[in-house]
Amino acid sequence: MKYILMMNSMRAGHGVPQWPQKDLQAHIAFMIGLDEELRQSGELVSAEGLSFPDQAKLVRAGKNGVPITDGVFPESKEFLAGFWIIDVEKPERAYAVAAKVSAAPGLGGAPLNMPIEVRPIMSAPPPEML
Amino acid sequence: MKYILLMSGTKTGVDGYHAWSQKDIEAHMAVLQGITEELTKSGEFVASQGLADPGEAKLVRGEKNGTPVTDGIFPESKEFLLGYWIVDVATPERAHAIAGRISVAPGPGGVPTNMPIEVRRLAIYVQPQSQ
Repeated sequence: MKYILMMNSMRAGHGVPQWPQKDLQAHIAFMIGLDEELRQSGELVSAEGLSFPDQAKLVRAGKNGVPITDGVFPESKEFLAGFWIIDVEKPERAYAVAAKVSAAPGLGGAPLNMPIEVRPIMSAPPPEML
Repeated sequence: MKYILLMSGTKTGVDGYHAWSQKDIEAHMAVLQGITEELTKSGEFVASQGLADPGEAKLVRGEKNGTPVTDGIFPESKEFLLGYWIVDVATPERAHAIAGRISVAPGPGGVPTNMPIEVRRLAIYVQPQSQ
């Protein structure tokens, strides 16, 4: 079963660049270690980190199909910071990996305990929709 | 430059989608599939996934000892990711143009949904993509 683990953050929560170099390195080392672990167990499908929300654009198409871009988001908006797709035997394993991600070290090495959203991936659209 | 195009919606919006007629759903999926095929041919396609219903979403935090604490309570206003496309394009404008195409995928009665698509550049410093 494929699951996606999503790390979201508010715009204001993106204080990461202000962390001391040492804390940032410990955080990144943790993330690299986790990816290595999931790759070795054969559970990692893919993982990506997104650039900061200040670069985010919202796009809609106008009547003639021309993209209309806009960068205005509500204050409450949660931005995706990064995600992991894993292929696991059961949901409990996905939750266990999410808990590990949640406890990634932050400022001063203290666990961030950030909430991680866990969702099943649709393997393919149902045949009747194709 | 790699960009991710994120399609999101609230639970109410997703419930509305479930009420679409079979024909409208088929037309919608056909357009999205066509865009994916086109991007594959142009060499810009990297990855795409659709997510299962928001009703199946869980929020997980690790306790002190690392034990997962799961919870499925989200605010009404929460936007859930419905699906995404990762594209590798020459310019941000090209990413915006593709997002525009996705935005006009047909909805009920063939009318374009004009849903907003969030476009974000992927960070370069985290590239744990499996081989």
